[in-house]
Amino acid sequence: MVQWILAWRYFFKRPISILAVAAVALCVFIVIVVMTVMSGLVEDFREKNHTFTGDCVIESDSLVGFGYYEDFLARLSNEPIVEAASPVARGMGIAVIPRVNDHYNIGVEIYGIDPDLHSRATNFAETLYYTEDISKAFIPVYNTSLPGCIPAVDVIPIGRRLPEGGYFHWNSPIVLEFIISAFPLNSKGVLARGGMDPINTKSFYYSDDSHSGLVKVDGAAVYLPLQQAQILCGMDTPFKRITSIHIKFKQGISVRKGVETIRALWTAYCAEYADKPGAELFGHVRVQSWQVNRRSIIAPMETEQVMMTMAFLMLGVITVFIIFVVLYMIISHKSKDIGILKSMGVSVQGILAVFLMFSVFVGLAGSIIGGAIGCLFLAKINGLEDWLYEHYQWQLWDRTIYAIGDIPNKIEPQVVTIIVISALVACLIGAAVPSFQAARKKPVESLQVNQL
Amino acid sequence: MAIVLLTIKVLLYLTLPLIVGVGVSLAITHIVNKPFKKYLALLIVVLLHLAIFEALGRSRPHGFYLSLVMWVSYIILIENYKIKDVWFFIISLFTAKKQSFLSLLLCLRYLQHRKIVLLSIAAVALSCALLIATDSLFTGFIETIESSVGKHLGDIILEVPSGSVMTEYGVLIESLESADCVQSATSVLRSQGLLLAAPGKVRPVVAWGVELQRRLNMTPLQESLLFQKEKPTEDISFEVPQDPDAVGGIVGIGVLAAPDEKTDLYNIEMIKEMLGRSMALTTGTVSSSGSQENSTDVNAATQRQFSRKVIKFKLVDVAVTGVYQFDESFVLLPIESLSQILYPDKGAVASTIHIRLKPGTDDKRAIAIIRGIWQNFAQERFDWYPFVSIESAKEMQKMQVVEYRKQMDVLLFIFGLISMGIIILVFCIFYLIVMTRRKDIGILKSCGLSSSSTAAIFVLFGTVVGFIGAVLGIGLGYVMIVNINPIERLMSVALGINLWKASTYMFTQIPNTMNWDSVLWVTAGGVIAAAVGSLIPAVAAARIRPVEILQYE
Repeated sequence: MVQWILAWRYFFKRPISILAVAAVALCVFIVIVVMTVMSGLVEDFREKNHTFTGDCVIESDSLVGFGYYEDFLARLSNEPIVEAASPVARGMGIAVIPRVNDHYNIGVEIYGIDPDLHSRATNFAETLYYTEDISKAFIPVYNTSLPGCIPAVDVIPIGRRLPEGGYFHWNSPIVLEFIISAFPLNSKGVLARGGMDPINTKSFYYSDDSHSGLVKVDGAAVYLPLQQAQILCGMDTPFKRITSIHIKFKQGISVRKGVETIRALWTAYCAEYADKPGAELFGHVRVQSWQVNRRSIIAPMETEQVMMTMAFLMLGVITVFIIFVVLYMIISHKSKDIGILKSMGVSVQGILAVFLMFSVFVGLAGSIIGGAIGCLFLAKINGLEDWLYEHYQWQLWDRTIYAIGDIPNKIEPQVVTIIVISALVACLIGAAVPSFQAARKKPVESLQVNQL
Repeated sequence: MAIVLLTIKVLLYLTLPLIVGVGVSLAITHIVNKPFKKYLALLIVVLLHLAIFEALGRSRPHGFYLSLVMWVSYIILIENYKIKDVWFFIISLFTAKKQSFLSLLLCLRYLQHRKIVLLSIAAVALSCALLIATDSLFTGFIETIESSVGKHLGDIILEVPSGSVMTEYGVLIESLESADCVQSATSVLRSQGLLLAAPGKVRPVVAWGVELQRRLNMTPLQESLLFQKEKPTEDISFEVPQDPDAVGGIVGIGVLAAPDEKTDLYNIEMIKEMLGRSMALTTGTVSSSGSQENSTDVNAATQRQFSRKVIKFKLVDVAVTGVYQFDESFVLLPIESLSQILYPDKGAVASTIHIRLKPGTDDKRAIAIIRGIWQNFAQERFDWYPFVSIESAKEMQKMQVVEYRKQMDVLLFIFGLISMGIIILVFCIFYLIVMTRRKDIGILKSCGLSSSSTAAIFVLFGTVVGFIGAVLGIGLGYVMIVNINPIERLMSVALGINLWKASTYMFTQIPNTMNWDSVLWVTAGGVIAAAVGSLIPAVAAARIRPVEILQYE
């Protein structure tokens, strides 16, 4: 008990403690703000990738794809862990939008999908702007007999991004023709029809926009009906091929366990179809969780977060130094008190506890103050940015360049907990050496008359 | 003569604001001597200084200078210094050699005997190193972005309106090269296409029809070629060995293969095996055009003629420029071959002219000259000539660069804010020293050392600590920056993650040039922070009374 009282008294009676608390508070404030924004961006990006991909992907690493998927889809539909599965035929193409520019080719990624299935396996339906009935997503409202397509929001090169974020949309889809060409590849990966007619070209009509929030997808994807994409990319003969199957698991099924189950199913399926023509294409197919599938895209952002954390750790050392010096100051002024305490029978551990507790008080007070200011700042950060933009045209991120909406300000309890624990650990590290020095002081030396 | 003029200009530039700033402060102190008006006087000084520096122009050195002058003014006003005090201070700097020596000696002794001071030096060094490293990395990155387009394309890019092409571009190039500001120029026919590089490997690419010899002489393309790099420039060509009739093409390394996920390196052996392989590139445009603006007639659109052109070529070389944007999308073909396939009835045509300026040429002046040459050339030939775009490579990157600079400033501001902890640290350490050395200070004062000299010892001590820390920090920052690529590889191996990927950061190498411009403000920041931290302990030392400290009881 005496340790608590003494630590409490030192904390309140020594004005120098305020400086240590201020240093910790400043550090905690900045780290909470930066880490909340950064982890918000990373989490948002991860979530967008997750909803874009589904929980699990069976994917070929070649654009040639793989066949005999219909039977496997039927099996998946009977699996109790599977909520939905969507076949996707992905290919590369070039598109011309005559109404925008007759002569400008745009490199596009063709995604052949069944909109209903794909919306159940991923968040595809939520990325659309006009469509209410997903089964009619590929039907242009201005002429229902035309083949429709859904380009990603940045594919139409007319700069629709608004300065405050978001995109300009017409009241209803306008008549916009997309002339899309692709190399039809046979199951060997070479040009179909012996290369005599090496290019497939077909016109599609704009029926809606898809805005996934992923820059690379939004700048290149064009969604087409599955069958049309298969014809365009040569995946319709001699047996129908696709490049991936996106799967969503039922609520409560862990991704890891779900992927293991699907992998086992797929391996058994491949063995069953091993003697069919084109079965060698199964060798290119991987069963992956969404995290593994999108790792190369998510990893750079996570790495940046790690680098930022390391930079703050380096600067956090200064806070450790400050705690060290403050404790050192207090101890150098309190050698007489320590001598008296020890001569009265307080143990080495007791003295140690007093000063370590003092550092914990400093850490806690700094964390509470810094954390509170940080939370307040985060709550107002978007309003502050709006105000700065309104009066000085200053934005943290130019929304016409970056696909970022509001600045993420959702305070994650685990992030705050980690920061507070780190602050306490830093305080304890800073206090360790001076506390040991205090504990090792001998009363016979500190209470000598010439030391008083 | 020029040097003398420059020296006078620099001296005036440096001293005039200081003289004006301090002069105004002294004058106001002299006029306004009632204490409650000091703050009003300070406000007037601040506004005056802002006006002076606004007139001088906004820049970082000016900002630093403004802060310094304001600080001096603040001290003058708050402490109510008079002109004679400042004069006395200046005189004492030159006359009190003995006292300065004593100050220096005491500083050195404290540095040697008080190990805790090393903590403040370490903190200053750490902050300075981090600020220098962050600033240099960002600045290097921005400069690489700014220079990469200019280096690989040209200083000025002349681009015809989309859908148009220029014939007789040779005449234009000749006229451009006769201008005094232009070193060389070369034409390009640009088109987006789709490449089938190998079975199952299809990807969108940018097809460039180029004049190879001109481009080799104008850009570092030769250094980036994987197979023909060592040949004399005039021997490098699109010719396919053993097949003189075939069209040859140079392809960016990223088009052929993806780099390794962990090492970010390409499998060169696999790429070498692709040499001489046939590839197919498709591109093409809508062959008939008609206005469709505001049209809702869908049938009008479907009646258009559309044809794709397929160019078959053989791989004669692979380009590794180190710029991801180029390496992952570019296919270079002879301009004549691409023109013949895309525009068979027009002969050789170009859509872009890349222009290299003579060193030291001003971009704006060059653009004006080039625009004049273009008008003379195009006025009679093309009805679309006013819509041509003539832009400098730097201007093309401006929007992106402004955004990167903003991010750098925000990051430096955050790091700078945390580094303010140095002030608290130095304060604590110096206060500790003052409290434990009260007897020494008492003895020194009893021997005749004035209060201001006692304070000066500690401020000088703080300044020395800040300076040593800043120098160490700059050294540490320099070592980090120069060795950033080996450090990154080491960290990648240790942590098992690739920290720098060309696909994310655009370049294969981390820019490793030190930004010496930032050294001045970082050093100044470190020294000022340490000096500010030592101010209160210095005042505490100055207020020590020997009669109280040295009494026996």
